[in-house]
Amino acid sequence: MKNQPNYQYQAEIEKLRDRFQFDFVSLALVQPAEDRFVLTWQYASGNMNDRYKRIVLHSGKGIAGIVFKTGKPMLIQNVNTDIESRDLFNYPIIVAEQLKSLGAIPLWEAARVQGVLLVGYRAENRLTQAAFDQFQEGLGKEFGAFHAGEVGQL
Amino acid sequence: MIQMTDGHLNDLLKKMYANSMEAIFFIDEQGSVVAMNPAAENILDIDVIERMQSGVDESFCQACKGYTDEKDQISCSKCYLDYPKGDFSSFQVYLKTRGEGVVPYAASYHTIDEERGIRVLMLLDLTKQQKTQEMLQRSNLLKYVIKAQEDERKRISRELHDSVAQELLSSLVDLRVVKYMEVGEDVLKKLQQTEVSLTRLLDDIRHLSVELRPASLDDLGLEAAFRSHFKWIEKNYGLLVDFSAELSAARYGSEIETVVYRVCQEAVLNALKYAGTDEVHVRLCEEDGVLQLTVKDDGIGFNMNENEAKGTGLGLYGMRERAELVGGQFMLYSAIGGGTKVELRIPCSEDNERERETDTR
Repeated sequence: MKNQPNYQYQAEIEKLRDRFQFDFVSLALVQPAEDRFVLTWQYASGNMNDRYKRIVLHSGKGIAGIVFKTGKPMLIQNVNTDIESRDLFNYPIIVAEQLKSLGAIPLWEAARVQGVLLVGYRAENRLTQAAFDQFQEGLGKEFGAFHAGEVGQL
Repeated sequence: MIQMTDGHLNDLLKKMYANSMEAIFFIDEQGSVVAMNPAAENILDIDVIERMQSGVDESFCQACKGYTDEKDQISCSKCYLDYPKGDFSSFQVYLKTRGEGVVPYAASYHTIDEERGIRVLMLLDLTKQQKTQEMLQRSNLLKYVIKAQEDERKRISRELHDSVAQELLSSLVDLRVVKYMEVGEDVLKKLQQTEVSLTRLLDDIRHLSVELRPASLDDLGLEAAFRSHFKWIEKNYGLLVDFSAELSAARYGSEIETVVYRVCQEAVLNALKYAGTDEVHVRLCEEDGVLQLTVKDDGIGFNMNENEAKGTGLGLYGMRERAELVGGQFMLYSAIGGGTKVELRIPCSEDNERERETDTR
């Protein structure tokens, strides 16, 4: 992550939110060695509060954790039907931002997932598989310093 | 003691026969009921009494389901009715009763009239005593299960922390040393990635260890354990815990500390899951020899009279059970729109103090 140009991620995700009319967009990035390489939400647009800033993500847990671990995009079309309500607390970002329909994609750098991009709506079934595909296509292969493709290229 | 006249004694015996809570049956050599007192009539099934009184079948056997011997809970071998040599001064017998099915009774059976072969069978209802015993057993079992769970968690937690994490840490150090040796650029890059993965893995293992059972609970006490737990909650769920402790690092018996820790953990998790808020207040203090824990949120609350549980409904039950294990009181207040408050009060009496001393020994 050294020597990379300073990307304006805040501006980038606001643009994304505007372009696809998302209610919420956020970006989680792996932190440098001083912070023990943890994954935290660094940027958000359309957020209702700052709770997302307190959350440290764990590999395999929560939306970003699962995307981070598997390296595959993840779509939750309808939170109310796809996640059991007693399980919901394991997805703090969904609870905090009251998201009802969302998707997340991995961001690659040197064949490693280095970040997670999350987009969502506060209404059920707004993000369909087609809309999610369309978003990924529209995003292109690059996002900032990262590859946004399905499989990371070296 | 006043000298009893025969008349007086007769009178008393009659009254005892009529008013005693013990059921008394007089039974002859054939096992037929000669007479029974009102208490006995109350026990037996009406059909059986009718048959006995009308003389169709006077055998006591039709009311009896068997008795407890060394081999079986309910047995008919060497029946007390026709095995006069046996010692039946005190045994447990199962009777078919009126409306309550088969019920155990404490019984004694012995001959009182050698000439005519009349024996007396006296019964005392055991259900109440058995219930008490069952409750005691259940509470003991629960205590045992909880202790076993805690012990096992402690063991795995220690193992993870002391051996797995340690081993991993030393390989991580080795790896960092390699970085300063003469290696190619691409090897260095790969090494860096491995270092990242291992660091994260080490953190995960440490979290797992603390999650199972924080070592700080045993080593440093409640306050320290709570502080690190709440920090972890904040990081994991973004939930803010406003924690105030007025214990000045006091220690309690390990059983009490475990109960307080687990109850608090559950209460905070409940607030996180159901209260719809991102702030919880926790207060821990000792007043008048009573250890008090309060977990309060200003969330949506719930209707306490409604039995519909959002979760499994076992959480509240578990907290109450744990509290009772150390003689504590568990209280819950909630109203829709009024938030929820959980209170735990545990008396740290001398009893508990003594327990602590034996614990540490």
